[in-house]
Amino acid sequence: MTRQTLLGLGFLSPALLAVMMFFLLPVVLTVVFAFTNMSTSTGILGGEYQISESDLRRLPAVGVGEDAVALLAGAGYAVQPETLALFAAEFGEDRAAELDKLHGGAKFDDQRAMERALKELRRNPLRKVRDRKTAADLFRVSILGQRFATRDDFALAITDLGVPERDRLALTEAAYTGWTFTTQNFELLWELPATWRYALNSVIYVVLTLGFNVGFGLFLALSTFYLPSRTAQTFRAIWFLPRILPPVLYVLMWQWLTWDQGFISAMLRPFGIEPINWMRHTATHAWTFIVLINGCVGASLGMILFSSSLRAIPETQLFAAQVDGANRWQQVRHVLLPQMRWPILFITSYQTLSLLTSFEYILLATDGGPGRQTEVWALAAYHTALSNYGGNLEYGLGAAYALALVIIGILLSALYLRFFKFSELVAKPRIEQ
Amino acid sequence: MKKMTSALALIAATAAAPVLAEDITITVWAGGSNDSDHYRIDNIRIAADMLSREAAIRGEELNITVEGKRDFDGWDGFKQAVTLGAEAGNAPNIVVTSHLDIAPWASAGYIVPVEDYVDLDAWPLNNIYGNLMEIATFDGMQWGVPQDAESRPFFYWKETFAALGYSEADMDAMSARVEAGEYTLRDMLADAKKAVDMGLVEKGYGFYPRVSNGPDYAQFYQSFGGELTDTETGKLLFDRTAMTEMYQFFVDAVDAGVTRRNHIGTEWDQWYSEVANGKAAFWHGGTWHYGRYTGKEGNEDFFGTVGFTLIPAGNDAGRANTVTHPLVYLLTDQKDDRVEEIAAQLVAIASEPRLNALHAIKSSHLAIGKAEAGLDLYSGDRWAAEATEVLLPHANAQPNHPSYGAFSEAMFKGLEAAWTGVQTPEEAVAEVEAQLTATLGDELIVR
Repeated sequence: MTRQTLLGLGFLSPALLAVMMFFLLPVVLTVVFAFTNMSTSTGILGGEYQISESDLRRLPAVGVGEDAVALLAGAGYAVQPETLALFAAEFGEDRAAELDKLHGGAKFDDQRAMERALKELRRNPLRKVRDRKTAADLFRVSILGQRFATRDDFALAITDLGVPERDRLALTEAAYTGWTFTTQNFELLWELPATWRYALNSVIYVVLTLGFNVGFGLFLALSTFYLPSRTAQTFRAIWFLPRILPPVLYVLMWQWLTWDQGFISAMLRPFGIEPINWMRHTATHAWTFIVLINGCVGASLGMILFSSSLRAIPETQLFAAQVDGANRWQQVRHVLLPQMRWPILFITSYQTLSLLTSFEYILLATDGGPGRQTEVWALAAYHTALSNYGGNLEYGLGAAYALALVIIGILLSALYLRFFKFSELVAKPRIEQ
Repeated sequence: MKKMTSALALIAATAAAPVLAEDITITVWAGGSNDSDHYRIDNIRIAADMLSREAAIRGEELNITVEGKRDFDGWDGFKQAVTLGAEAGNAPNIVVTSHLDIAPWASAGYIVPVEDYVDLDAWPLNNIYGNLMEIATFDGMQWGVPQDAESRPFFYWKETFAALGYSEADMDAMSARVEAGEYTLRDMLADAKKAVDMGLVEKGYGFYPRVSNGPDYAQFYQSFGGELTDTETGKLLFDRTAMTEMYQFFVDAVDAGVTRRNHIGTEWDQWYSEVANGKAAFWHGGTWHYGRYTGKEGNEDFFGTVGFTLIPAGNDAGRANTVTHPLVYLLTDQKDDRVEEIAAQLVAIASEPRLNALHAIKSSHLAIGKAEAGLDLYSGDRWAAEATEVLLPHANAQPNHPSYGAFSEAMFKGLEAAWTGVQTPEEAVAEVEAQLTATLGDELIVR
């Protein structure tokens, strides 16, 4: 490796590192998560081994024998010679003898009942809560509800309990509380009718907003192109405002504009139009405003890029066109637009990709309503993986949603590059060959 | 001999060890808490003071520092903070959260059962209402302690109600009639329509429900005969008929012009100010709304203007009901067992009637135990006393089931689709059923 190559790599390394950390790693993790049943319940970093009461009825279905289930289901606490011996070793023979007299051979369902029994010791009572907890634990014979940190601990416990060899593997697998690999997320996505609606919503959203973004951005750039530069700058600055406003504030202003007692309703009331919530009245209303809200943000980026590339076109071409008698429209159509292919390519592909994954303005404006009609794919991923009133977030399913977006995004980028002949743009200038 | 040795060892241990100061920091995170809920954290501080004093009397020096946090970015932000903190091994010691989090967090191993550290048969925990304690259990274990209680009443604006032809005596008898199933949601709908037709309230303001998903909608499912779980197996229950009728009820409300089609998603601030000032004829909310109506919204004559009952029954199959959705104190799993023990003791002390009453009255919540309800501070508060009497005995809670969140979310999405006219109630129910059967599998019984 030459020095130059090393130097080059050295200069690239921060960028490579950033790409690794902020693109490759998230993508790889998304792929991994998408093939798991990870949720709040399973935890993220792995699980432990536990059979709880509600697991019992699930066991026969996963191939654990009836007698093994019966063994597990037995009462949790028993006053029997073995447990009494443990108790005697820790808390004294006297107490053990008294407890044997009071409850010898008894079985208790839960810890609370066991503690109550221990409270009945009179001669030398266990006065402290902590002691009673420790003592009660000595009488525990069932492993129900107990957590074992490793597979081996659990295996040992069920062997001690006398679970038959043939059931141990199935039982251990059922007892694992962490996530496991599965393809069920994709089966679910395929099966659920809602998925298709979200996909359709995303298409509507991206196509409409993109059209607005590019069209309006181009319109703003062209219309300010012919203005004196100071006026043009003022106009562009105004149109840039939506982009620099914090999204929450920006959407809040739209909310004020559109709600029942908002600006639009108030303006239209004198004309006898009933006040409605203009943003949420119907799906059409909602889409209109979502496109406007997103479009005004997106258009400003297009405007800036288009304006600067318009200015890079030599003015002489315009003068020449004017001499040939071309009017403004003809100048735009035949001189300016043909030279705008690359910026339009850039804005189109960039905006498609960012719109596909963007949902924050929709979340703030309609949250997918009314009736899920503006719930786009990315928003569904967010709702599934990160927002749930009942508390159990489905990371795995959410990642499956996101993975679909990653794949579509990569396919679309490839398509765009081909369609707009990106290779021509990066081809070596012929003059240097 | 053995006893002798252990006794000797004990003496040696106490004699040799000088009184060592024990410094423990307990962090408390309270979700969904606003300014008036500060006793969720402050009570733990008071408890820490008590516990240190108790230790001092035993001759031990126990210094507990309590660090509280309740400014989270909504419930989502709070739950993410707790779960990610737990994964990273630095979860707060005590969390105040919805009882619905118990099931997933227990399965994930984020929390430890409170019953491992405190005596449930001793004061003050043995004084907490049994049905509330039950709400903090999961899989046969007591995971948490109820931090407060509430319930979700049905409200009506008295002035509008009187204009509909009801007398004072009728209003006094309302809660009994609702409870007996004599006044149903259908009667309410008829009255609401009348109120709109007579011009007493604007169109869309006859019945003015909650604007987002929440436990409230489970109540309407119950009103039409739905049950959330199968008592025998503990599985979630999807009652097709009840669900369809519940969806149909909201669709009918929209068709009759008493509820707005685009009502869901209305701004909360707008909603509060409207219902607190008589813009709606009927609505439903929570017991803590009292504080908001009489405080920020400036309703100075709550009892003169607002009547409340259980959520009425919807049909003969259903019953008048109300859901209580208590927040609970939970202990997170820590490396140091001693910290968990201290945290558990603090939670127990914070559940003392006097301390909990401070929270209940300050934040318009309900008592968690019998002794608390008898305290002067509590019984002297008209709202707390009346709400306890009318609502709490009939309150049930949503089930602690790891998949209940998905169930509740799907139920609401379906309702929204029917409500906004995207689907008919039958179509919506069929889609929700298909989705839940696919996602919950064996954990769901469809009836």
